[in-house]
Amino acid sequence: MTRKGRENLSLLLFVAPAFIVYFLFKLYPTFSGVYYSMTSWNGLSKTKQFIGFTNYIEIYSDTYFWKSMLFTSKYVIVMLLVANIIALSLAVAIESRKKAKGIFRTLFCMPNMISMIIGGYMWNFIFTKVLYYLADNWGMTIFDKSWIGNPRYAFIAIVIVSSWGIIGYLMIIYMAALQGVPVHLIESGSLDGANAWQSFFRITFPMIRHSLTICIFWTLNSMFQVFDVIYSLTGGGPGRETQSVAINIYEEAFSGNIRYGYATAKSMVLFLIVFVITIIQITVMKRKEQEL
Amino acid sequence: MKKMKKIISLMVTLCLVLSLAACGKKTVNSTAGEGNITKAPEAASEQPTEKAEPREAELSIMMSFPQYMDQWETYCKQFEDKMLAEENIKVKVNLEMPSSDQYDSVLQARLTGDDAPDLYTIHSNNIKTYNETGYLTDLSGEALAGKIFDNVKKTVSVDGKLLALPIESTAWGVLYNKDIFEECGLAVPNTLDELKNVCKVLKEKGYTPFLLAYQEQWVPQLMTALTIGGKVSGELPDWLDRMYADNGSYSEISDIFDVIDVIMQNGTERAMEEGSEAGSADFANGKAAMYLQGTWASNTIMTTNPEMNMGVYALPINNNEACTLINLSTSTTLGVYPDSENLDIALKFANYVLDDKDSSALFQACGFNPIATVHDYETSSWVKEAYQYVEAGRSYQDLVLPSAVTDEQGKLLQVYYVGGVTKEEITKTLDDKFKEANKLSKAAE
Repeated sequence: MTRKGRENLSLLLFVAPAFIVYFLFKLYPTFSGVYYSMTSWNGLSKTKQFIGFTNYIEIYSDTYFWKSMLFTSKYVIVMLLVANIIALSLAVAIESRKKAKGIFRTLFCMPNMISMIIGGYMWNFIFTKVLYYLADNWGMTIFDKSWIGNPRYAFIAIVIVSSWGIIGYLMIIYMAALQGVPVHLIESGSLDGANAWQSFFRITFPMIRHSLTICIFWTLNSMFQVFDVIYSLTGGGPGRETQSVAINIYEEAFSGNIRYGYATAKSMVLFLIVFVITIIQITVMKRKEQEL
Repeated sequence: MKKMKKIISLMVTLCLVLSLAACGKKTVNSTAGEGNITKAPEAASEQPTEKAEPREAELSIMMSFPQYMDQWETYCKQFEDKMLAEENIKVKVNLEMPSSDQYDSVLQARLTGDDAPDLYTIHSNNIKTYNETGYLTDLSGEALAGKIFDNVKKTVSVDGKLLALPIESTAWGVLYNKDIFEECGLAVPNTLDELKNVCKVLKEKGYTPFLLAYQEQWVPQLMTALTIGGKVSGELPDWLDRMYADNGSYSEISDIFDVIDVIMQNGTERAMEEGSEAGSADFANGKAAMYLQGTWASNTIMTTNPEMNMGVYALPINNNEACTLINLSTSTTLGVYPDSENLDIALKFANYVLDDKDSSALFQACGFNPIATVHDYETSSWVKEAYQYVEAGRSYQDLVLPSAVTDEQGKLLQVYYVGGVTKEEITKTLDDKFKEANKLSKAAE
């Protein structure tokens, strides 16, 4: 074997374990999903009838699916802004501290270590019991709202809980980026008379732009697939008022008419939408990064 | 140096690959191990021993009511002992109880993933679907078939075949606090006007009439189960058949909203923030005088307040007393997987659930109603009260609607409660949903 061949072989061997896992748990389910999406399988039957693109055509006029898509899009936009602004602000605030950095970092990261399904149930208790207790006994009438029952407040509740869960993770990425900003640039800026705002927006922010790309990519991707928080907090209710696409897919596959094939087709559509949006986002943001 | 690096890298890669292979190997081994445990009966009988070694077998059972885990674990242990003593079979029962809201998806994945449990619970409404896909054994020839009450047997039979063993069968209506009713001098209502009067008197005396707990959509759905059932059984007996033939409409039964409105307008506040368990506890503590829930909630209610004096009455739909009926239904049933490796033992377990000697204690411990001749225990006062309606001919067999329609009813009533949808919109949506379910059902045939 030539030297090049040996090198290739060793590279291949290195990649093999990861590739096998990736193939078994990611690629294979995805490709088999494409097949299932073209069947009328009910998830139980031993035979699967191939029906071509019929499921995809039906999705076009599925009002519940598009309603859940609209809700999810609204949720993604709000989460992109809220979670990233808070995470970046916290990262800057903690990084600017001289003492007790570790304590704050741990404190804000803690929710990220709790499973969101558990977090959702915890917050459900807070919204349905604790806040009413405060309203009834301590006169805090601002909390006397139907946090789970009223679709408007339920949306706010979902955003609060989701932000609580992911801010710690985003904050760590921003903090790592902030630590990479050379101190001499900030110092020379301040010598040139830049105030704190100017220093942040003209020096720090452009320097940490790559982390913004990562955080926005991650938020977009994971928030489009949101399931656990909503499932444990409102169950998608009242009715379907807070139903995300993932919950709509779950409902289609496992309850009611039990249409596994149709549900898989919906997940394929979700995949395509998220794929296109993230490709556009990364391309645009990478170009902006290079411009700087 | 470069060569050394390469050798090390190759060794590390090899280790990784081998460790992965080892993981695979372990799975294979463990499966083989299980295979060894589960010896075939022929293999056991081949052994030329004077004192036969007990045959060993594993039985996997999946059930949807984790709240009764202790009672069923004890029963499974009793079954293991009985099998060893009487049949010389050393059975190991693996009992699983996933949470009820994820139960269906877990079961579905197990059945299609060649990992089916030997016995599993399903809702009686799903028996037809599971039977069509070949996941249920016909139990008609088993000893248990002769023990089940005829009216209950009907709810678990398709084309004359007994396809599952009924576990939870109930006669249910509206739960009410007898002490509060007595204090206010009230009798159970038989018409809608009487119900309105009950609400009026209760309010005057400072009580909230109904406890509302709508956080989970299956709870408001109980209102449609009772109102549609009563209305259809009392006045429109062909409505359901016509609905299945795409020849009926919810607009024909629109007066069900009269009583639904009475309940919602005379209920506790913050219903969407109240789960079913919390609702049962609040009802037990006297937060409201009536609670539209099945007798299955009695376990939580009586645990919260053992002194509770509870009764059951049939919900009036309108002023026609013929519609004021108790609902007779079977919810949880136990099916046997036909391709089970230990089908003989699975069937023995199914029969043991209705064992002449032990079954009564199990059903009583779980608070289930008697479903077979072997159940000779004293039932609670509220169950007796519900069965008085049945004896008087004032009951109906629960209507079996397509699951998608049942789910939709619950969802729509949640939105109706928060004011997001009108009665007319509900009627139209449910008509469409029923037609869609019919279409899908026909396509599947």
